[in-house]
Amino acid sequence: MPRTLLRGIPASPGIVIGPVHLLRWEVPEVPADVIDPADIPSETERLRIALARTIERLRVLRERAVRDAGAAEAAIFDVQVTIVQDEELVGRAMDLVAQQFTAERAFDVVMHDWREHYARSPHAMVRERVSDLVDVHIRVLTILMDLPDRDPVDLPDGANAVLVTRELTPSLTLQLDRRRIAAIATDFGTRTSHVAILARSLGLPAVVGLLDATSRLRSGESIILDGTAGTIVMRPTEAELHAANVRRQREVAEDADLAALASMEAITQDGVRIQLFANVDLPDEAAEAAANGAEGVGLMRTEFLVVGRAAMPTEDEQYEAYAGVVRAFPGKPVIIRTFDVGGDKLPVGGFPSEPNPFLGWRAIRMCLDQPGIFKTQLRALLRVATLGDVRINLPLVVSVDEVRQAKGLLAAAAAELAAGGIPHRADVPVGIMVETPAAAVLADVLAHDVAFFSIGTNDLVQYTLAVDRGNAAMASRYTPLHPAVLQLIRRTCEVADRTGVEVGVCGEMASEPLMAFALVGLGIRQLSVNPFSLSRVKRLVRHVRATAAREAAEAAIAAGTAVEAERALRERLAAESPAEFHDS
Amino acid sequence: MVAERAVVVKNRAGIHARPSSEIVKTAARFASSVTLALDGLEVNAKSIMGVMMLAAPFGATVTLRAAGEDAEAAVNAMAELFASGFREA
Repeated sequence: MPRTLLRGIPASPGIVIGPVHLLRWEVPEVPADVIDPADIPSETERLRIALARTIERLRVLRERAVRDAGAAEAAIFDVQVTIVQDEELVGRAMDLVAQQFTAERAFDVVMHDWREHYARSPHAMVRERVSDLVDVHIRVLTILMDLPDRDPVDLPDGANAVLVTRELTPSLTLQLDRRRIAAIATDFGTRTSHVAILARSLGLPAVVGLLDATSRLRSGESIILDGTAGTIVMRPTEAELHAANVRRQREVAEDADLAALASMEAITQDGVRIQLFANVDLPDEAAEAAANGAEGVGLMRTEFLVVGRAAMPTEDEQYEAYAGVVRAFPGKPVIIRTFDVGGDKLPVGGFPSEPNPFLGWRAIRMCLDQPGIFKTQLRALLRVATLGDVRINLPLVVSVDEVRQAKGLLAAAAAELAAGGIPHRADVPVGIMVETPAAAVLADVLAHDVAFFSIGTNDLVQYTLAVDRGNAAMASRYTPLHPAVLQLIRRTCEVADRTGVEVGVCGEMASEPLMAFALVGLGIRQLSVNPFSLSRVKRLVRHVRATAAREAAEAAIAAGTAVEAERALRERLAAESPAEFHDS
Repeated sequence: MVAERAVVVKNRAGIHARPSSEIVKTAARFASSVTLALDGLEVNAKSIMGVMMLAAPFGATVTLRAAGEDAEAAVNAMAELFASGFREA
């Protein structure tokens, strides 16, 4: 049977049933032709006209964007106009035409050069501009080669289409007119890509990281896109369409209720207060998280500073990145995790490839072996701690030695700052990720040396069940409700209770209502979730009793298998809360 | 005529794309050649491709240089733009 379900990463919630609009936003292949010397003047003129038409087009897009998204967002088209007019860029292309290059080849060569130059910059600010260069590259070549214009704005009004593309550049995302485009699906991207964040702010459902959606879907075919689950259903049956419609209507009705929840407390029916924090992967997400009612940041990931870069970020650059998040949460806890690179996230400069990277040189292991890099990060963290309630979280700890070594480096960093007269806070609380069975089993030993436990369920499930979470063939075996995982979480909570160490959960698990119910039942009182899941989790918390959750969690642990555990939880959750949770 | 002045980047986000575009528009109003220099890299202020490469962060001190008849006026206008923080926070 052909596969009809495509699985990606949920990037922006909501369900859409609509036709596919396949967008090929790619640089066209340019033939390596030469021109006759006699044609140089006319070829030069052809390039000049194409550049002028590109500028006209960009100005139209800019006006539309000002109207639809506001002047600040539309400024990107101003920047692109300035690029098309750039005297050095245009001058170089004209020089190549004078050397008998065709206009398209001359422009292609110059843009490839600049893109490479920009992509290699040590500054994130410069690398981020590559997407604008790609846009300009595509637009000018499209006009020069007389290819059909592929802008998504050229769809008919009311098309309600699902835009399917390899990758969306920020300027394309800006053009997503909601009267025409109802949802987005991309082959590339992660939940934290700029486009995912923008899709959420525009309220457009989105699924990213689908890998091969552009080759599996055809323009015009009808699909169901579920941005909450991160799936696309191809060739949906009547029953699937009906179910999707019911859920869509319910989600629309719930949106208003959810928005109202942002300012309410997360408190159970029997009066147990749950702290709801947000996971923040990029500084840009902090404002979104605060607006959705996050009471702090339970996990700020710092990998964006190092992954895919040519050089390590400076201490000041790190300070600014962390400060952006701390300032968005004045006086509230901001738990920042030190570099968790290795595994599937390759750091600056590349590191030796390992046969088994998830069991290899990554996270705290890499940081302790590279004290120079680690100390730069620790110095930035101690400095930013003067701005708010900053806490430091160490990833992948399996032994108390690692905590002690890290604290030694932290003390050295504080001494350096003190010697230099640089403002900092030396007494920043240090905690650990509990994401290996070793850390959970040894929680009582580790508790002496740490201020908090942050249970990272993604890795805890993977390491406990020996199931690679990135392997699609293992997906059915990746079961967060496996009783072994539940027991390790319960054990960590019990130790935390007894020793006064704080404990929270910050994995994907906390974002799903059924799982959040289980976690509250296991004794967790601090959940950190994606910014857009905050309201859903809060609603769950407000609808259930902590005592019922505890009974459900005990039943789940007693069940013996993941399937039975899930059934036990689902039955009790159904008895506890309104109908909308039944299929969550 | 040659004019030179040191200016500080006052907007928090640094000289990202939009301020780069403003710099180019301002520099283009003058006949003089205008450059920006930071950490040993000197770029043409009339080319956005060059200005964006500079990646001048918040707090950086950038050296403005102009050469030509209206060099002094060019440097004044550029310094004013920097002092306004590119009309951003």
